[in-house]
Amino acid sequence: MNFIQQLINGLVLGHSYALIAIGWTVLLGVARLVNFGHGQMYMLGAFMTWFFMSRFGLPYFAAIPIAVGVGVAVGYLMQRTMLQLTIRQDLVSVMIVTLGFGHVLDGAASLFFGSTGQTLDTPLSVRDIYIGDIWITWQDIAIIIVTILFFSLLKFVVEKTRVGRLVRMVAEDPKLALLAGINIRKIYLAVFAFEGAAVAIAAAMVAPRTPILTSMGFDQLIITFVVVVLGGIGSITGSYVAGIALGLFAAFFGAYVSAAYSTVAMFVLLIAVLVVRPGGLASRSGAH
Amino acid sequence: MSAATPTPALEVHNMSAIYAGNCALSVESFQLAEGELAGIVGANGAGKSTFANALLGWSRGAPKVTGDILLDGESISGLTTHERVRRGMLLIPESHLVFSTMSVSDNLAHAANPTYAVGRRLYTTDEIYDLFPNLAERRDHLGGQLSGGERQMLGIARALRLAPRVLILDEPSIGLAPRLVSTVLQTVRTLVDEGLTVLLVEQNVKAAIRAVDRLILLERGKILAEGPVDEMKADPRVAEAYLGVDA
Repeated sequence: MNFIQQLINGLVLGHSYALIAIGWTVLLGVARLVNFGHGQMYMLGAFMTWFFMSRFGLPYFAAIPIAVGVGVAVGYLMQRTMLQLTIRQDLVSVMIVTLGFGHVLDGAASLFFGSTGQTLDTPLSVRDIYIGDIWITWQDIAIIIVTILFFSLLKFVVEKTRVGRLVRMVAEDPKLALLAGINIRKIYLAVFAFEGAAVAIAAAMVAPRTPILTSMGFDQLIITFVVVVLGGIGSITGSYVAGIALGLFAAFFGAYVSAAYSTVAMFVLLIAVLVVRPGGLASRSGAH
Repeated sequence: MSAATPTPALEVHNMSAIYAGNCALSVESFQLAEGELAGIVGANGAGKSTFANALLGWSRGAPKVTGDILLDGESISGLTTHERVRRGMLLIPESHLVFSTMSVSDNLAHAANPTYAVGRRLYTTDEIYDLFPNLAERRDHLGGQLSGGERQMLGIARALRLAPRVLILDEPSIGLAPRLVSTVLQTVRTLVDEGLTVLLVEQNVKAAIRAVDRLILLERGKILAEGPVDEMKADPRVAEAYLGVDA
């Protein structure tokens, strides 16, 4: 196995993990909400992109905004349905409702798209670059660029803008936010809509790397969960670093030990990190 | 022809707050005049905080609140909490004073130039820092790093940045040393002298008496007595129970 090739694979995989987790990073890390339907929303984003490309012949870059629009609508609808639970901070019920929502999406997608695996070929994924023995696709390079830009933009918005400050205020103390004149309903709806958009972008970018299946949602949820917890809940930078670290770990573990046990190994790594650093990799109070 | 009576800044009619069938508050009529500093006092559980919270439609346990609340003659009863705040009803609660993971300056920044505050006095950050020099020195500190007195100051300062029409302070003296209580109440008096209307909810009756113009005694959710502070000091119900004086 070529070490450099594994390093590149790990970096691409890591940026993919970070990109998939970005919506959850805001949801759990910044707004203190959970969505266990996140993985199925990823699946939906992938299938919407594929559907509009294969059935309507839309170009890849035209199908992405439609998939993002669907993601926004699903995120908004999900939060609209459980808004009272969110306002009461009944996180157990929110968890169960989002889990249920995810299963509904799963079932609906199976019914509509069938259970056969599909391939999402894009103009970027079919163009390879070879440098000696090293191989990478333009899709991989695009994933890295989009992830870095997305994380940088998110960090700027959360830390430096009025919108980011409002989200942080609602996350820290929703009752006090009401007394600051903030419409917390709007913030909760916007955060879920953002998550829907973010996961749809991630799906449109990352899904072309592997065959897509309507049952793939749960795996994405697990990876997202590990990335966000490992990164330290509340940290945007931490999630990015955790995504990269996890990608490198999965690539090298898969290449040199066993690809079949990668997920198990990720959880062992998660447990080990949490024992040593209970707050995750970026365990600094208030870190973003 | 007699001069028209000025519209009170705040009016309450037939307000009740019911928790699980139990009536915690029943106020037939209450008024707060423009530029007045009134104090509501009473024992623990008298319904003081319930009253303050009900004015904002903000409370734990979601009581059923009925009655009409008028701000500058306009009913705000049907509005949500954040809408009442935007109309100028500001509450500084007993706890939940500041955003502790945000800096002092971030705590003050969020409401910069609110469009809904037209016609009301909006304190600038410079004015706030003049009023509270301690906050100016600690502008980069997190809210959670401040002392109890500084948190109380920041709570008031945050409210001032939202251009209050009526400011309600719930137990500002709680947990503070007597010297700090005096400082907080002197600051409130300064704000009233500048034209702000303030309702002070206080269990520390001696401190409240020194600060307010009018005192309202609340017991078991009902207004038992109210009047100018000198008259109320002489009222045996206040003197015996709260000032330790035999009437």
